[in-house]
Amino acid sequence: MTLLHPRRFSTVAILCNLLLAACSQPQAPNTGRENPTKGKKVGVLLVSHGSHSETWRKTLFELEKRVRQRILENGGVAGTKTAFMEYHEPSIATRLKAFDEEGYSDIILVPILLTVSSHSFDDIPTIVGLKDNPESVEMLRLEKIERYSPAATVHIAPLLDFGDILRKNVLRRTKALSETPADEGLVLIGYGSEPYENEWARLFGDAAETVREQTGIGKHSIGWCGHIVRYSPDSTTAAVNRVLEKKKTAIVIPSLIAFDENFQIRIIGGGIEKVDGHEERVRYKPDAILPDPDVERWVVDISKEFAKNILNQ
Amino acid sequence: MTKKNRDALRRLNNLLHRDLGYFFAALIIAYSLSGIALNHVDEWNPDFIIRKTTLDFKRTYDRRTITEEDIAALSSKAGERSFRLYDFPSERQVKIYYRDATLLVDLEKGAGEYEKISRRPLFYQVNVLHRNSVEWWKWASDLFAATLIIITLTGMFMLRGRNGFSGRGKWLVTAGLIPPLIAVFLQQTR
Repeated sequence: MTLLHPRRFSTVAILCNLLLAACSQPQAPNTGRENPTKGKKVGVLLVSHGSHSETWRKTLFELEKRVRQRILENGGVAGTKTAFMEYHEPSIATRLKAFDEEGYSDIILVPILLTVSSHSFDDIPTIVGLKDNPESVEMLRLEKIERYSPAATVHIAPLLDFGDILRKNVLRRTKALSETPADEGLVLIGYGSEPYENEWARLFGDAAETVREQTGIGKHSIGWCGHIVRYSPDSTTAAVNRVLEKKKTAIVIPSLIAFDENFQIRIIGGGIEKVDGHEERVRYKPDAILPDPDVERWVVDISKEFAKNILNQ
Repeated sequence: MTKKNRDALRRLNNLLHRDLGYFFAALIIAYSLSGIALNHVDEWNPDFIIRKTTLDFKRTYDRRTITEEDIAALSSKAGERSFRLYDFPSERQVKIYYRDATLLVDLEKGAGEYEKISRRPLFYQVNVLHRNSVEWWKWASDLFAATLIIITLTGMFMLRGRNGFSGRGKWLVTAGLIPPLIAVFLQQTR
């Protein structure tokens, strides 16, 4: 008995496998037109901040559940997943590996993030291998956030500030709390981002302007609750006090994607509690942007648009 | 318990305290340094030295017409001979990436902020351990914590008489409990 040379044996084995695959693979029906998908398999990955809060994570999973069926309609997208940037699984790397294992060729990464920040602009692209921001690389390593460059091509969708989602959302929530617009001022509290504070302020300013136009609430201020203020309630307190200098009542709208006890209760709620007479002069509901039909519509529309472009390439 | 047994236990106690103390001395100092550093995370970056330089390019740019030659010129002003990538976080900004630095340029103002990052010597390394950033170090850290308990308990019984635990020791241990109890009490009343 003569043993085949290893390389020759491997070659023979490969050829046999290819032949078997060709024989067993059913012929696709001839529809008279070129297959528009060109063998592509597209997935959608919703990415948001992670959180130790179960409520936060549940909200983001619920978002995926609510949009999945609509995204999968028409067959352009084959599957959807949700991932968290930090603190909790499933991580971005975990989900990207899953997409690779399932044979996806393209992944549409939809950030469920309000506007530009270090996370959206640097950290996420660095995690998926599209950038090598030095600070992100170091911080991700230190925080044990895994980077993974998938075999599939990653396409990053625009942020939520691309549309008018926040304006509509803030308007709806403000109207729910408003009683006498002429006596009220609006306080918008967001996470914030140090290098992009102007962008955040502009986004919130636009939302406040919409509220002014639609309700007559003419005074507003902005406060931060994230790392930019070292998670201090004082920024909220100061923002509320600025409004109360001119108006009888302040309406506080937490402009955060989802509910997290640490933010809506401890930081923002704690900041409000430091305001003199807050029981009578501040109206605050510790809610969040989600659930929001406009966010859902945005996620569906942007996913389908990206999928269409990918399949037509 | 007989005197012989008590003496044997005391020798074992002293032996454990001495040898474990020697063995973990470096780690105790490392964790203490890291603890001090991490306690002041709001005042400084305990892990990295980030050098920031503000640059004035004395002209403005338009995002729609900016070229790679412009990017190279901006980089040159920051002392960088080449760049890896550039991207636009907003209509008025461009961010340029280098090996260990970035340059965020405000195109409308013609100004930029150059940031160069490097690891803070010693503190970065001890902080990595303190945060259990090395995968398996969690278990080593647990062992270290347990050993600290042993070192502390054995230390209480090193001496006898008026300077031992039954004398001076009991009062100092009691006094040492006061600050954390006050802190816990104050935290509960907030």
